[in-house]
Amino acid sequence: MTESGLPDTDPLALEAEIPTSPMTVHLGPSHPAMHGTLRLTVTLDGETIVESIPEIGFLHRGFSKSSENSTWHQVLPYTDRLNYVSPILNNTGYIMGVEKLIGLKPTERAEYLRVLGGEISRICDHLTCIGAIGLELGAFTTFLYAMEARELLWDRIAELCGARVTVSWTRIGGVASDMPPGWEQHLRDCLPRVLELTNEIDTLLTRNRIFVDRTRGVGVISGDEAIDWGFTGPCLRATGVNYDVRKAHPYSVYDRMDFEIPLGTRGDTYDRYVLRLEEIRQSHRIVLQCLDQMPPGPIIIDDWRYALPPKKEVFGSIEGVMAHFKLIMEGIHVPAGEVYVYTEGANGELGFHIVSNGKGKPYAIQVRGPGLPILSALPRLIKGHAVADLIPIFDSINMIGGEVEQ
Amino acid sequence: MSDSGAVSTGGGQPGAAQGQAQIPAPPKMVKVFVDGTEVQTDSRDNLIEAARRIGVAIPYFCYHPRLSIAGQCRMCLVETSDAPGRLVPGCQVRVKEGLKIVTTSPAVKDNQRGCMEFHLINHPVDCAICDQSGECKLQDYYMEYDHQPSRIRVHKLNKPKREIFGPQVVYDAERCIMCTRCVRFMDEIAKEPQLAVVDRGTHSLIATFPGQPLDSQYSGNTVDICPVGALLNRDFRFQSRVWFVNKSPTVCTGCSNGCNVYAESRGEVIYRLLPRRNEEVNQVWMCDEGRLTYHASNEKRVEWARTGRGDTAASVGPRIAVDRAVELLKPLAGQGGIGIAVSAQCTNEEAAAAFQLGAQVGASRYFLGSRPQGNSDDFLIRADKNPNTSGILLVAEAFGVKLEVANGIDRVKALVAMRTDGLPAEKLARLEVFIAIAQNEDAATAEADVTLPCKSVYEQDGSLINWYGRLQRTWESVPAQRADSAAGWSWAERILTGLGGSGPKSAAAAFRTLAEKSAELSGLSFDQLPEDGIVLEALLPRDWPARAPRPLPGAHSVRGPQTTPPGMKVGDEASGGSR
Repeated sequence: MTESGLPDTDPLALEAEIPTSPMTVHLGPSHPAMHGTLRLTVTLDGETIVESIPEIGFLHRGFSKSSENSTWHQVLPYTDRLNYVSPILNNTGYIMGVEKLIGLKPTERAEYLRVLGGEISRICDHLTCIGAIGLELGAFTTFLYAMEARELLWDRIAELCGARVTVSWTRIGGVASDMPPGWEQHLRDCLPRVLELTNEIDTLLTRNRIFVDRTRGVGVISGDEAIDWGFTGPCLRATGVNYDVRKAHPYSVYDRMDFEIPLGTRGDTYDRYVLRLEEIRQSHRIVLQCLDQMPPGPIIIDDWRYALPPKKEVFGSIEGVMAHFKLIMEGIHVPAGEVYVYTEGANGELGFHIVSNGKGKPYAIQVRGPGLPILSALPRLIKGHAVADLIPIFDSINMIGGEVEQ
Repeated sequence: MSDSGAVSTGGGQPGAAQGQAQIPAPPKMVKVFVDGTEVQTDSRDNLIEAARRIGVAIPYFCYHPRLSIAGQCRMCLVETSDAPGRLVPGCQVRVKEGLKIVTTSPAVKDNQRGCMEFHLINHPVDCAICDQSGECKLQDYYMEYDHQPSRIRVHKLNKPKREIFGPQVVYDAERCIMCTRCVRFMDEIAKEPQLAVVDRGTHSLIATFPGQPLDSQYSGNTVDICPVGALLNRDFRFQSRVWFVNKSPTVCTGCSNGCNVYAESRGEVIYRLLPRRNEEVNQVWMCDEGRLTYHASNEKRVEWARTGRGDTAASVGPRIAVDRAVELLKPLAGQGGIGIAVSAQCTNEEAAAAFQLGAQVGASRYFLGSRPQGNSDDFLIRADKNPNTSGILLVAEAFGVKLEVANGIDRVKALVAMRTDGLPAEKLARLEVFIAIAQNEDAATAEADVTLPCKSVYEQDGSLINWYGRLQRTWESVPAQRADSAAGWSWAERILTGLGGSGPKSAAAAFRTLAEKSAELSGLSFDQLPEDGIVLEALLPRDWPARAPRPLPGAHSVRGPQTTPPGMKVGDEASGGSR
């Protein structure tokens, strides 16, 4: 009641300026939207993010130090756990580094198998990212579609490698296992379904008013600034910078593949999402080309200094058992030297800096996980946005705890 | 030197009679080129040793720096500028000025590969059940020089397996590559030619003579120098894989020679002893009896600190046991009825702590217990089967203590024994108070009012002095703690503290106390003792067994404490180790 006795009908009375003070809240490390385990200390002015500090370390495994105490092959399972959504890409990156130190070339079929497995992994990685971004904006269906597609592919990976996620599949000089009988057909049968589900997600999200409103113009970064931060991969290409290691510095058999590098224009959350959608289609093309072009032949080199002898030789000949024994107990001998090997991981340039002192174990290994520089730009990306926008932005950079923290 | 003149490189030793010292002529150095790199090398070196000086490995099976040249295995063939287009054995050919040696040419590599293939023709698929696995030259060289499948398509030859050669050695003819190192060792080093090559060609094998087993006291060394798994030690066989054991330097406690050894252990268990190179003590050899001394460290140990004799014995934990010992000793302290017995198996530190304890309780008599004398020879085996008799005598002198034989213990009422070797058990029963710091259960510990478990020499920091006065370190070579066991000096320290005195808190402290009192040890401390020990010149004897290794004039160990010279790693094969 007002002084005049009339009811208060002033519509702006409740919109009056409320005095606020900054509030600090913690997001994570065990928050469902903080993929992996990340803690964000966010300072808010009302709903607006003023400042944020990402804190990593909850998934730290001591990758570098553990690697120094393992034989060259024993490092391989640790690389599975870098970007655990696309482990074959990490396996390949590491093994390529060791092979470069030795000066070893894997067999041609192994090269194709690595690219094949790697691109399937890339599809899985991107599916996870776009499924999650939809999920956390309320589109649960897209997440289920993405998971269905990813399950199809992970089943194929399980058939190929024996494990869904922790595959440890590559070997120095080749890969661990060939395509099992009938596997190629399995893959050819399930790929259309994967593509169909991808298109379904496309239909549901890409022109969805709510989704577009929540993502377009959110978390914008320019190409130059992204380069300054050290962005690579989809997050960089979403800004329009054309850098993909597979094209810029082709490795393995990528130079024989016909595929395109999709580019964004604005560098916002929406572009990062669309770009991944398109990359799924491009990876799909590469997978099919691999299947078509793959030559028959051995999947691993026949050099017992580096590759385990066939089991028949191990159990039946002294030469085989000695080679097996030495490889398992002491590890292969990698010439002293130092290399940096970089490949296109699912999130960008995955670099391995490997130092050997000529012994059976690495002297040092450091990893350039593509996620770390991108994550370090997160405060810059979310500054000034509402808390609700943090989630899609964070989703779109696709932080994977394993590779950020190692 | 009792057999003067006959030894060409032996030389005399400091402290020996004048006029007998023979100082070896300085080596003549020549310049050779190994794969293009200039090397200054001793003119007496063969090509293998010359190449080794710059870290170039020429592979070999049959060559051994301490044995005669056999040229059996053909692994070491290299090219030289003296014989272009031909391969010459690197073990047999000596260097000469300006010689160019090529170890990496296709012909050399091809020969190495071919040699490996031939060596493996009849080799059984045994790695999984072979003790040598992990320290086998066939495995190493196969990966280094061959690493290809065999092209042999005929059946492997069957030969005798598991043939017992003697008390320590078992032979597998299928694994044997006929390098003849063992035969040459028995001929030239052990001087007991008990092994021979029989049969010819691919059927040849190593054998003992009918009715004559390989029972030499040095037979275990043939296992060490066997580059493959043909000769295996029966004591170690199937006990542990070699990569599971922790190899740590120590000193053998079998006799007063004090051979330098490695103890290989896992947890609290020692699995074997291997000789460690020390030119002035044991070269790279050791005797079979010494190899078995680790059993005393594994078996029949006093595990827990206990009080009471016979049926009343109870494990009460170290603190209560020490309290009980103090309680028993306190009324007698200063009364003159207490004796201290020290065994010649003790380290110097244990003996020093025992004498400190004796001083605290006013001990009236001191006894020296020791294991009985045994066999001896002119090489490594001494008759005194105690590792530290010289040390105990030196420590006793430093503390001004007069040692009596252990048989006289019936003249005291109470006895504290630092290790129980050689104590007459029947007289112990009559003691009013008997406190035993003991390593193994024996007749003496059965009579003890308080029994405190003592660490073996292999398990504790300490020092020993061998028969000719070489002061050598021991370390905690076995990493795991066994039950309540502690070093003898530590028990003495705890009793001393209980009696209101103070004792050494560490082996280094015990040694420091000792060094302050002893003229021979003055100025020394643990961190100054090199790994291969130093010689206390005042203790050097006049007479030496004919072939016993000895410090040469100018040997670094004689001049006083300093570190091992650069480039020479103790125990390293590079300078002629046993393997």
